[in-house]
Amino acid sequence: MTEDSLLVQRMANGDERALGELYDRHGRVMYTLAYAIVGERADAEEVVVDTFGQAWRGAAQFDPGRGSVGAWLSTIARTRSLDLVRARGRRARVLERAAVFVNDDTAPPNPADRGVERNEASSAVRRGLVALPTAQRQAIELAYFGGLSQSEIAAKLGEPLGTIKTRIRDGMKKLRELFTKEGVR
Amino acid sequence: MSGHEQLDQAAAYALGALDAAERAAFEAHLVTCAECRAEVQAFRETAAQLVAGAGGATPSDDLRERVLAEARRVQPIRTARRFSAAWLAAAAGFVLALLLGSAWWRERGERRELATRVAEQDQLLTSLLAPDVSVANLAASGRPPSARLFWDAKRLRVVVAVFNLPPAAAGRTYQLWAIAKGQAPVSVGTFNTSADGTVRTVFPAPPGVAFDLTAVTEEPAGGSPQPTQNPFLVGPLGLRSE
Repeated sequence: MTEDSLLVQRMANGDERALGELYDRHGRVMYTLAYAIVGERADAEEVVVDTFGQAWRGAAQFDPGRGSVGAWLSTIARTRSLDLVRARGRRARVLERAAVFVNDDTAPPNPADRGVERNEASSAVRRGLVALPTAQRQAIELAYFGGLSQSEIAAKLGEPLGTIKTRIRDGMKKLRELFTKEGVR
Repeated sequence: MSGHEQLDQAAAYALGALDAAERAAFEAHLVTCAECRAEVQAFRETAAQLVAGAGGATPSDDLRERVLAEARRVQPIRTARRFSAAWLAAAAGFVLALLLGSAWWRERGERRELATRVAEQDQLLTSLLAPDVSVANLAASGRPPSARLFWDAKRLRVVVAVFNLPPAAAGRTYQLWAIAKGQAPVSVGTFNTSADGTVRTVFPAPPGVAFDLTAVTEEPAGGSPQPTQNPFLVGPLGLRSE
């Protein structure tokens, strides 16, 4: 059992300190994910509070056999971020930002991005993303951060649906191989 | 990677990028296909790494405490001693309606929306059942419509239930106002009723709001900075919070 899943197990028993430790390990990444989707500090923080709240309440249902704690938290945070964006009717704006984001090889402009230490794993991931053909990366990021389906992406980019499907599949396979090789997980 | 064509959809599924019909078909397939389940799991891990491409961002220092405070808040609902039997019956009816609503959503298979609705309803119930919440009954002169407002000053939420109010015409909306003595009305938010003339909704309270009266007007879509007509629903706030 990983350290993370032990924490979740302790949370299921009502151990609040375990929740604090889980936050220390994943809070910043979840905030970054939420911020990338919702684009506002206050909303991103609300998503983080909700995400860890849901993890706290759902800790007993977490099954380490079905994936890592990080992937579990990310799924919650992404879903809640997209819900918030939709509830606020801000989808168009978010897509605009996602489009800027994918056209740029660097991180999105982010006033909060100061004094951040990137660990080895995340720079490996960044190298992988940069190495990916731009078109594949764009399709993947529009889906993940923009919440678009493949046909919505095809319509937005004016490309055939089959092309988008291929880009997503090939791009994700490439990333997966790369992350495995780099020992990201 | 040999195998069946569904396997090709695993990456898109893990990214949340399948269209609704494709997703339903793929999920049906997942139930019986361990190979696709493993594939989805692996791609979910890949997807969770994508955030590294979004650069780092630093949350406020107090976020950790907010996360812990939220967890402490989640505990069994205490007995609402200050509520009369009639209130409890009304609340029970409300809960039943919410549960039926939830069941309907679940049947739609829209788990994501269900989660959002449950969270909203959590908020709504917390505010309805809080012992220190202020209540206003908004009445029109003569017949219905009517409305009831709950002001949860501690959690900065305003819950409103409206009855017998036909939906606003196209291009129009209803707007809820908070009015403190001797001050200009402050907009709490806009809403519209459904075809059956009711709506229940939760508004985050505008910063620093305080009010003695609450009122509803009809305004152009998007709402107005100040009311453009006399309110057709007005009520004083009772049971002031501490």
